Amino acid sequence: MDPSSLGALSEDGSSEDKDQPLPLRPTSFDSSLPHPPARISKKVSSPIDWNMYFDKEEDVHIPEATDVFHVYTAGTEGPVVFCIHGGGYSGLSFALAASKIKEKARVVAMDLRGHGKSCTEDEIGLSIDTLCNDVLAVIRTMYGDSPPAIILVGHSMGGSVAIHVAAKKVLRSLAGLVVIDVVEGTAIASLFHMRKILSNRVQHFASIEKAIEWSVKGGSLRNLESARVSVPSTLKYDESKECYVYRARLEETEEYWKGWYEGLSEKFLSCPAAKLLLLAGTDRLDRSLTIGQMQGKFQMVVIRNTGHAIQEDVPDEFASHILNFISRNRIGPNGIEIPGLRRPQPPQH
Amino acid sequence: MPSHADLDRQIEQLMECKPLSEAEVKTLCDHARAILVEEWNVQPVKCPVTVCGDIHGQFYDLIELFRIGGNAPDTNYLFMGDYVDRGYYSVETVTLLVVLKVRYRDRITILRGNHESRQITQVYGFYDECLRKYGNANVWKYFTDLFDYLPLTALIESQIFCLHGGLSPSLDTLDNIRALDRIQEVPHEGPMCDLLWSDPDDRCGWGISPRGAGYTFGQDIAANFNHTNGLTLISRAHQLVMEGYNWCQDKNVVTVFSAPNYCYRCGNMAAILEIGENMDQNFLQFDPAPRQIEPDTIRKTPDYFL
Repeated sequence: MDPSSLGALSEDGSSEDKDQPLPLRPTSFDSSLPHPPARISKKVSSPIDWNMYFDKEEDVHIPEATDVFHVYTAGTEGPVVFCIHGGGYSGLSFALAASKIKEKARVVAMDLRGHGKSCTEDEIGLSIDTLCNDVLAVIRTMYGDSPPAIILVGHSMGGSVAIHVAAKKVLRSLAGLVVIDVVEGTAIASLFHMRKILSNRVQHFASIEKAIEWSVKGGSLRNLESARVSVPSTLKYDESKECYVYRARLEETEEYWKGWYEGLSEKFLSCPAAKLLLLAGTDRLDRSLTIGQMQGKFQMVVIRNTGHAIQEDVPDEFASHILNFISRNRIGPNGIEIPGLRRPQPPQH
Repeated sequence: MPSHADLDRQIEQLMECKPLSEAEVKTLCDHARAILVEEWNVQPVKCPVTVCGDIHGQFYDLIELFRIGGNAPDTNYLFMGDYVDRGYYSVETVTLLVVLKVRYRDRITILRGNHESRQITQVYGFYDECLRKYGNANVWKYFTDLFDYLPLTALIESQIFCLHGGLSPSLDTLDNIRALDRIQEVPHEGPMCDLLWSDPDDRCGWGISPRGAGYTFGQDIAANFNHTNGLTLISRAHQLVMEGYNWCQDKNVVTVFSAPNYCYRCGNMAAILEIGENMDQNFLQFDPAPRQIEPDTIRKTPDYFL
């Protein structure tokens, strides 16, 4: 759907300023209303614990390795929605959404290498191969040889990891692939600016509250509640500087950036599982994805009035897209369940 | 009804890619609605006729299509939907087609595509384009209200069944389609949605569409539908095909796509299908119009990627 910026849509996210379209039945194509400007006071920018949203947290020790990956889980039944965060974020980026999704599915959100509460030998070795192996190792350690049906959900850099894992075709129970706001063409184009973008971030915070405030004021997140639960896990206290700094050392990972995105569109299209591409604000499809979308190879939803972190900015809308995707594709706890839909007999010719 | 002279003047203006005034569009849509409401869910069409697929606001390519296929009304046309969104000139494109319909109602048939919908046009460009060109959403509202009246399918000489998307598991016969109440926004599911969203597939039977709406249908389904309804062919659009047309399912189904270099980036050819006086079939392929005046599109690099 059809699965779209193509000139007619503004590329600058100015859609908040103009008249909103008439209200319609809620669908995947609807816009949500603009968020009012976040009013920040000391009191409301305090951190919120993960356990308001997830049921459990645990450390997954990878056998025959020293690496320990931290995961948050929620829900008890249905397929597993396995969430992979973007660079510099953490598993708690999915906290608000998890509290909705868990009503109908299980949610697992891991902290990647060098992020959140995961603890690995090489904290900056973020090559795409390493990240994929980490995800596969966590899934294998948690579920053994007979994992339940899995929907891989990845945001930004994590979207790239999800696509690469899916394209390896080694997860036999993979039933769906959801990619949040990452497209090869624009990601590659923006690599040129990345160093500057990273260095333009405020680097030191006197308190966690200040960092939460900055994330919302600076526009990287638009949902204060989500910032209050997710931002603390992206920081660490630096004793020598006596302030909070970023936990993930992204500046030291530049050699891997290109590898995250090169060839991503073709890889995405090659994944046999059902696919959903969620884009923020406007469609930025490159040529491969435009052709793929126009041939009906995946579902695309453009969500207006959200920043890059869709799952944090509009968690309810995000969760409903995930649940609709699961139900439309009839993904049950053990895989696709299609009673009598596809007739079993072979082609006639 | 407006005078032929008025309509001819409007056609001349639109052929130069100059939009009509808001008031003219309102009047036009009123007249068009009066015509379309009389048409059938399965609109009968006589040969000869030239069948066209998606246009998507690529105005200069539509002009190229008329150059290749012949001007209306010298050539009869059947358009299978998706006039708006994606391209830069949805307003001029859909206005021209609707004026032609009002001027030559028996020589032009315009069906509904999945983009002729309030919801889709808010995401893929037509709504924004109307705001940009008219300063308000009135023209968008006139057109999207009109879209509810477009016929869903057409039937050429009781033999070739034409529609935008494909078949529906809820619709076995043409009479099933005739019984639908089509005057409404395209629903999210159900038979009317399927006709505008479904795709043929290499796998047999019905499948879940990867698009998130409609179904996929196999050759067995298409062959059975054609047999049941005495048809020789299902002609549809909806999917980009690199050569502009594509036979599939043992020639039970053909896809016709009429937006060359779709989205100004896909590098595909376009095609139209001429059905002659003896129902003979002839495909005409074409490349993007040589004169491509596109507005400056400054594609801002997003300030993200991690």
